[in-house]
Amino acid sequence: MNTPCILLHSILFYDLTFTAFKRSTLNRLAMRCKWTIIVSVALTFATATSMASEHELPTKQLFTDHCESCHSGTNAKGDFATAKLSADFNDKQNRELWLTVLEQLKEGSMPPKDKPRPAANKLQSVVDWINAQAEKAEIARRATEGRVVMRRLNRAEYANTVRDLLGVEIDLTDLLPLDTSTNGFDNNAELLHTSSFLLRNYLDAADRVLDEAIANEPEPWILKKRFDIREEKSVKSTGSVYRHTDDGVAIFATWESANIRVTMWNFRSHVRGKYRFRISGYGFQSEGKPITFRVTAGTLKEVTEERLIDYFAVPADKPTVIEFTEQLEPENRIRILAEGLPALPPAVEKIGADKYTGPGLVIQWVDVEGPILESWPPPSHKAIFGDLKLARISPERFEVASQQPMVDAERILRNFARRAFRRNVSDEDIKPFLARVKLKLDQNDSFEQAMRVGLKGILVSPDFLFLREQAPKLDDFALASRLSYFLWSSMPDEELFQLAETNTLHQPKVLREQVDRLLSDPKAKAFNTNFMGQWLSLRAIDATLPDGTLYPEYDDILKTSMLKETSLFFDEVLRNDLPLTNFVSSDFSFLNARLAKHYGIPGIEGMEMRRVALPSDSHRGGLLTMGSILKVTANGTTTSPIVRGSWVLERILGTPPPKPPQDVEAIEPDIRGATTIREQLAKHRNVESCASCHREIDPPGFALESFDVIGGWREHYRATGEPREVNGRRVRFWNGPAVDPSDSLSDGRTFQNIDEYKKLILEDKDKLARNLTEKLIAYGTGAAPTHADKPQVDAIVGHARDNHYGFKTLIHEVVQSALFQSK
Amino acid sequence: MNVHRRTFIRSAGVSLALPWLNVFADESRDSLDAMLPPRRMICICAPLGLHPDNFFPTQTGKDYTLSPYLDILKGFREEFTVISGLAHAGMGSSFAHQASASFLTGAPGAGRPGFRNTISLDQFAADHIGTQTRFPSLALSGEGSGGLSWTRTGALIAADNSPSRVFSRLFLEGNSEDVQQQIHRLEDGRSILDDLSEQAQSLRSGLGIEDRDKLDEYLTSVRELEQRMSIDESWAKKPKPKVSVEPPKDIANAADLIGRTRLLFDLSHLAIQTDSTRLITIMLAGSSFAPPIEGVSLGHHDLSHHGKDPLKLEQLKIVELETMKTVRDLLSKLKQSKEGGNSLLDRTSVFLGSNLGDGSSHSTKNLPVLLAGGGYRHGQHLAFDVNNPPPLCNLYVNMLQRLGIEADKFGTSTGTLTGLEMSQG
Repeated sequence: MNTPCILLHSILFYDLTFTAFKRSTLNRLAMRCKWTIIVSVALTFATATSMASEHELPTKQLFTDHCESCHSGTNAKGDFATAKLSADFNDKQNRELWLTVLEQLKEGSMPPKDKPRPAANKLQSVVDWINAQAEKAEIARRATEGRVVMRRLNRAEYANTVRDLLGVEIDLTDLLPLDTSTNGFDNNAELLHTSSFLLRNYLDAADRVLDEAIANEPEPWILKKRFDIREEKSVKSTGSVYRHTDDGVAIFATWESANIRVTMWNFRSHVRGKYRFRISGYGFQSEGKPITFRVTAGTLKEVTEERLIDYFAVPADKPTVIEFTEQLEPENRIRILAEGLPALPPAVEKIGADKYTGPGLVIQWVDVEGPILESWPPPSHKAIFGDLKLARISPERFEVASQQPMVDAERILRNFARRAFRRNVSDEDIKPFLARVKLKLDQNDSFEQAMRVGLKGILVSPDFLFLREQAPKLDDFALASRLSYFLWSSMPDEELFQLAETNTLHQPKVLREQVDRLLSDPKAKAFNTNFMGQWLSLRAIDATLPDGTLYPEYDDILKTSMLKETSLFFDEVLRNDLPLTNFVSSDFSFLNARLAKHYGIPGIEGMEMRRVALPSDSHRGGLLTMGSILKVTANGTTTSPIVRGSWVLERILGTPPPKPPQDVEAIEPDIRGATTIREQLAKHRNVESCASCHREIDPPGFALESFDVIGGWREHYRATGEPREVNGRRVRFWNGPAVDPSDSLSDGRTFQNIDEYKKLILEDKDKLARNLTEKLIAYGTGAAPTHADKPQVDAIVGHARDNHYGFKTLIHEVVQSALFQSK
Repeated sequence: MNVHRRTFIRSAGVSLALPWLNVFADESRDSLDAMLPPRRMICICAPLGLHPDNFFPTQTGKDYTLSPYLDILKGFREEFTVISGLAHAGMGSSFAHQASASFLTGAPGAGRPGFRNTISLDQFAADHIGTQTRFPSLALSGEGSGGLSWTRTGALIAADNSPSRVFSRLFLEGNSEDVQQQIHRLEDGRSILDDLSEQAQSLRSGLGIEDRDKLDEYLTSVRELEQRMSIDESWAKKPKPKVSVEPPKDIANAADLIGRTRLLFDLSHLAIQTDSTRLITIMLAGSSFAPPIEGVSLGHHDLSHHGKDPLKLEQLKIVELETMKTVRDLLSKLKQSKEGGNSLLDRTSVFLGSNLGDGSSHSTKNLPVLLAGGGYRHGQHLAFDVNNPPPLCNLYVNMLQRLGIEADKFGTSTGTLTGLEMSQG
């Protein structure tokens, strides 16, 4: 048994999913086949049966010597006989079988451990041969079928598409399960499957979407009211932390666990919709300093029924109005929570809120207006039915009526299908839907009921659910969709449709303008959320909650600020076409007071995030040293150089470490002990079989050991122990062993700390650009590039190099590439 | 293969009151088995594991001392088997959480790039016995829509996390207008699907081989759903079973994992009792928030990463003991419900396990496994060699056979599990 390795893999890849570009051809193909059984097979030795009438394959000798004692005849182990393999790599099933064999040979899981190994050179030549055959077949396949298989909309794309198709924002997460994202992104065409269960849910989702879009209810009334929070029952004027002033309420403390917080029970949203809020307040007795507060919304009945709207800050003494608009479900309320006030409620209550002289937050009033309706019936309704009149069919229900049903039906379905299918539609395309509507009308369904069946049919048809792309080169409609799903995670808008219609979209200049336009549209937020969020695994930010004993300073405001930092930084680099090397090292970031304090950077006040020039000794700048990244690459208790090191290789350098062996067992981390993780890991570097991978994985991991699980700088590990006081706070952690962030790269270059490490990896800028190119192509097309695409990827990297590695330039280059414009 | 219909009809007079006989259609069971109430299966996954020191007994065989967690189930000692040492083949510790995707499928390499899942145990069984009940299977979850059930093509089946919604699907009839509307909806759905298969057929001709595979997956889904909806339609015309309990109220607080588990278990008991389904999968919640339990101040996920901190271990134990109590109460309910001379527990295999052998180290070896009820020779601790265990899928073959399905293989199985024997027919 190999103890050091055991430890390594126990903590590898914690809570993350990974991309593996270098191996992607193999994996992509290998995993597609049904080979569950083969893995459990054990090989032994005996004589072989021949491979029937096949030509002699270059693998024959190896198979005869090492495989066929088990894998032959009718009782072949694992239901696999080598005779099943043929030389025809164009045959999909055969190819996949070969790739499974390849995988097992490379991994060394076959022949089994207790059997003699094939000679290394013989093994290698077989591996090379299979690789070459597979690649040849793959290139041939692409010429006729394209690189990317027909892709279904994923959950986010579906939701955004119905939003833009119909103008409804609606939660469908209970109907549409999260898509698999084993290749790093959850829009991988290969892995997006369909099942009868999903299809049933699509039918239900279509109902829900149409119910929301179509105005069957009477026009809702609009609430427009100024709320005086002095009238709130939660804000008692005596014996509490609130002082009723002439103009509002001064809040001196917030204590959530004791329910000391200002909840606006007097307001409730009566229907779903957007509501506009205006809150007027100022810092009270705050000695010139702004006061921070956050606003949450939800039913507020449970901790999980409350979501953050945002953090705000108001200046001292000067009444200031903050304004925001929020989408609310029915029966939602809002809550106002002052942040960062020094006193706990008992201290204020002891003195009395009327006499208390410490800082507080005055809220003067809250204006609410909503739901905000653009029109009635709403745009979603008009998007389907245009100006057709609504008729009252019962006191509380309206339906669309038509004087000439089939004429209207045809027009409506044609318009709807064109946008839903993201291309021009023919008579043939809408014929089945129209026929169905007619049948329904003939069966005496009302016009609207019949239309709903037709519309629902469109919303579950393959033309809507799948992106239709042509091999080899995409037509302009398909290109429009590829582009809009890349940058918006949604369907093309009218301008893109127009350009596709005139067949001009593919022109380099037009395409360039469109990329710029799409990126500057608010819908490009989806690129930030979905591309960046998955590239950097930020979606996993809540996978663990840091241990409150070891990290009492972690709270929601810090987490929110961290996420904003990364998101704003990404957008800044993108918008200004800054060099992508900024992702590794940068002299600026986005901070607010809370995050600046966490990073130990002085002089930042207030809650709003702003661009800040970083001091040269801050150890910050770039993604690697951001709180958000350091948080998602740690569990709530400990950091692991392996997890973080792998993350850097995988996400930043694009050289993912090989799969960890499957037969190493885990041991438990121990946070009581006095040994550092470095000491625990030290031994494995001396074991060659471990070291070959770990000398790549460990160095960035060690460099990042200077940061704790929430991204705070540390010289020492924290260890649990007896309670003590730190800065007036009772804590249960002590300084443990010292951190040693130094190490050397596999090529021998050494570094003392993270700052030096960053410099080293910045020396190979092409590597960073190549990684991002591969990620952008994987995300932008629904399939990761493979070895066969290397020349094209290199060309894109070359263009980026010629343009100072600008990140936006890189996106342009990706879009301009044949790789992006081909199926 | 012989269905002794006459035997069945002769005795039907006394038995028709039993829900399971209303839909006698299975041709694969022999006559003796056909006279007995049907077999069922509930599969439960605790996604953060169960702390092994508290779960596994030290001794093996029949005369073992109950572990702290099993002590909760002491009243059922003779009705469960605890199994140690098992693991799924081909699972590493680096994707320990992702391994929950393979918990009921056994597909190796969950979480690895390009991973594709295979059919889960319950869906495999549903292909054989699913048409006999209103719902072929139920996929439930304590939070989110990720569950344990996967289709033959490796697509996740969205699990339902709302007990009130499931209850209403199972038991709430609505007035005749609602029923009519439901039938209408199903008819509309079927006609839409009908149109779609024609459309998709014409679309198919212009596609390459791999695109065609994708479209075929879609087409197969359309056909399967059409068939299912036609079965649903006939069910929709039959009254739903009546139960004399209040509809459950969903617990909005995701941190309340015990409360949520309890609701799911109660619902599962009702679903089995009324023979609404015979196959249930339940993914328990594993929240990052601290559950509202006395003495617990940290979230379950973080407790599972205890790093041997004694305070965390103590809290972890409190949470997991509460989970075990919900399991005990599920077993009690099944035990108390009688069905033709047997208890429901005798006819229901209740399988509790996890994708994690140890939450702190992320080990996927030595998975906690408990099998209760269902008609096995229970009352023992079956221990296997942790370093060379049989695949967990072997147990799944036992469970399939126990359901009366003639399967000798499932996933990575190499046979059935040695030492686990059936006790009845």
